[in-house]
Amino acid sequence: MAQKSWMYAVLEAVQYEMREDPNMIWIFELTPPVASNPGLPVINLETEFGRKRVCNTGIDEYWMAATVLGAGLAGSKAATYIPYQGALMPFELIQNYAGKMRHMTGGKASMPVVWIIEMTGQTPGFAGQHSCYEEDSYYMHIPGVRTVIPSTPYDAKGMMHAALRSPDPVVYLYPAGLRTLVEEVPDEPYEVPLDKAAVRQEGSDLTIVSSGAGMPEVLKAAETLTAEGMSVEVIDLRALKEMDTETLVNSVAKTKRLLTVDQSYYTLCPGAEVIARVATNVEGAKYKRVAFPDAPPPASPEMFLWMRPNAEHVIGAARDLV
Amino acid sequence: MDRNLNSTAPLPTEDDAPASQSRRGFLQIAALTGAVLSTSGRRAFADGDIGFHAKDLPDEKLVDMYRTILRIRWHERTQADQMLANPDYRGYNHFYAGQEAVATGVCAALRNDGPFEQIDLVYSTHRPSGHAIAKGVDIPKMVAEDDFRATGLNGGYAAEMHLSDPSVGFIGADGMIGPGHVTATGSAFAFRARGSDQVSVVFGGDGTYATPQFHSALNNAKLLDLPFIYVLENNLYHQYAHYTYSCPHKDIADAATAYGIPARVVDGQDVFQVYNAMKEAVDRARAGGGPTFIEAKTYRYYNHWGAPGAKEGELGAFGYDPLAITSFRPEREVRAWMQRDPVDICRDTLVDWGVLDEARAAAIEEEVKAEIAAAFEWGLSQPLCNPEDALKHVFAEGTVAARQFG
Repeated sequence: MAQKSWMYAVLEAVQYEMREDPNMIWIFELTPPVASNPGLPVINLETEFGRKRVCNTGIDEYWMAATVLGAGLAGSKAATYIPYQGALMPFELIQNYAGKMRHMTGGKASMPVVWIIEMTGQTPGFAGQHSCYEEDSYYMHIPGVRTVIPSTPYDAKGMMHAALRSPDPVVYLYPAGLRTLVEEVPDEPYEVPLDKAAVRQEGSDLTIVSSGAGMPEVLKAAETLTAEGMSVEVIDLRALKEMDTETLVNSVAKTKRLLTVDQSYYTLCPGAEVIARVATNVEGAKYKRVAFPDAPPPASPEMFLWMRPNAEHVIGAARDLV
Repeated sequence: MDRNLNSTAPLPTEDDAPASQSRRGFLQIAALTGAVLSTSGRRAFADGDIGFHAKDLPDEKLVDMYRTILRIRWHERTQADQMLANPDYRGYNHFYAGQEAVATGVCAALRNDGPFEQIDLVYSTHRPSGHAIAKGVDIPKMVAEDDFRATGLNGGYAAEMHLSDPSVGFIGADGMIGPGHVTATGSAFAFRARGSDQVSVVFGGDGTYATPQFHSALNNAKLLDLPFIYVLENNLYHQYAHYTYSCPHKDIADAATAYGIPARVVDGQDVFQVYNAMKEAVDRARAGGGPTFIEAKTYRYYNHWGAPGAKEGELGAFGYDPLAITSFRPEREVRAWMQRDPVDICRDTLVDWGVLDEARAAAIEEEVKAEIAAAFEWGLSQPLCNPEDALKHVFAEGTVAARQFG
């Protein structure tokens, strides 16, 4: 047990699985699989496992995604780290090939495959094409692919173990804005399930649901609201596909008020699905949805920071609901 | 293609200059008919003997090219100083210093002003400021845009990686690697379909070789004989990885040859070599002769990018490196390339040709420095953006709804 950064926690899981399974491969471009942490040995997958298993490739995310799929179909566990520049380049492969493979082969295909896909764009200045916080909506739409989005280093490690051990292909979204988070993370391997939401705070007046990079601002808002006397339940989705409907419905059945918060675009954001599932199961609840407007993120900090959902927006919407 | 270029060391010096000028008339005609470059990409004349196009240009045009190189260099140096010294400066940049001769030589061979239906189009990369300046983008407005100002070139929506000014044929920067290439062939397709003699040019880096779009662009450009010119700036590194991680060829131009496209490798530090190759490519495209591929061997002096908060001497050649990859290339390699600086080569050549003397060259540099200083003064005094304007320009008409308040 030690304080670990996000990427150190994740690579610790990958390193463990690669040591356990000498066939497992890792493909990357530009972002070397290296992590360091105070007081702990440096993890470098490339030097530890060699370039036959850990390959630095050219800029071709479709190839990266297809290669790990092919490795999986051939019986080797495989993972790739797709940086933000190419977050949706492999979409077709994952949507139309991997996503349909098991079903259309009558269950014959096995795909122990993980696509780690970066999400960036919470920093003003880049925006435009270097912002891809909407990719959760795209990937969670695909049947046959588990799409998860951890929001803490602890979950990031546990869900990486679970993803690498799953027979299903997994889109493992990595909100890069969370790279600076540090928390206590066990040294030994453990699994966090790929289909369970986490109740981060219990309450009875209002349920706030968010995921990934939305979580830190939601937790900040919940702290303020709690201090004001509101009893807030906070749910971190973690799994977008399959979504944990039961936890959502149970919570709103109790609070009767649901606020969803997403960094994704408003239309078809994860919160839209959350509200739909709850509304068809809970009578008489009230709803609000905070999301990024249906506009590409502009570069100007004045414009971008005004648009990006933050704790103030969450607090305002919560007060309106309760 | 026939030059034995060492991809990790500086190119031959000026002493390897044209051995023979006698075939110059023949070559000129041959170039215009597209005969100089066979589809195998092999040149039919002596190495380096391609100085005639640039050498025949009017003095004024040659001096303009020198000015353009200086503008790109001093824009970048001034911007780097802002990052280091001005705590209020917010812009970032993907550095182009060292590569100025490529953008300048390419755009000098293009039609950059006039009606939109007649000018040539340039598709740029995530490293666009040099291309933008060479194509004729207004520098003060670009400076304002880079610092997210409301009156910047693109109203503060774009910043460096999405700079765009169709009025000078600068379709714009593409922050991604690949999509711009295939899109540029689409513009070329339109030119051919409507019987225009315009050409479509795309800049790419060595990292683009690996992308499927690179190959799609070349294959379709050749299949359809499109007026399309691919300018590949091989600065040896995509971000922090040497190009041999993504391309098995020493000369990436070999790939174009395989697609049946005339290809040439040029010294990207020498603006006149770049211009000459580009002039032939443009003449071929305008005459219906199809695409050309030019690989310019060049070098990026600074790191992949720079941003405010940089500290001189810390973390890499420029001083700012978010990934803290400080040893991705040898120091000796950087210094060796700096010995063949595009500014020096351009100035020395023009002095040698009698177009400029040293005093005039120095005076021009002072003029350019003053022009750039004024551009920064104007750009950084422009108003900041109005937050609510973020909801404009999603569609041609109207605004979209704010959704962040619930």
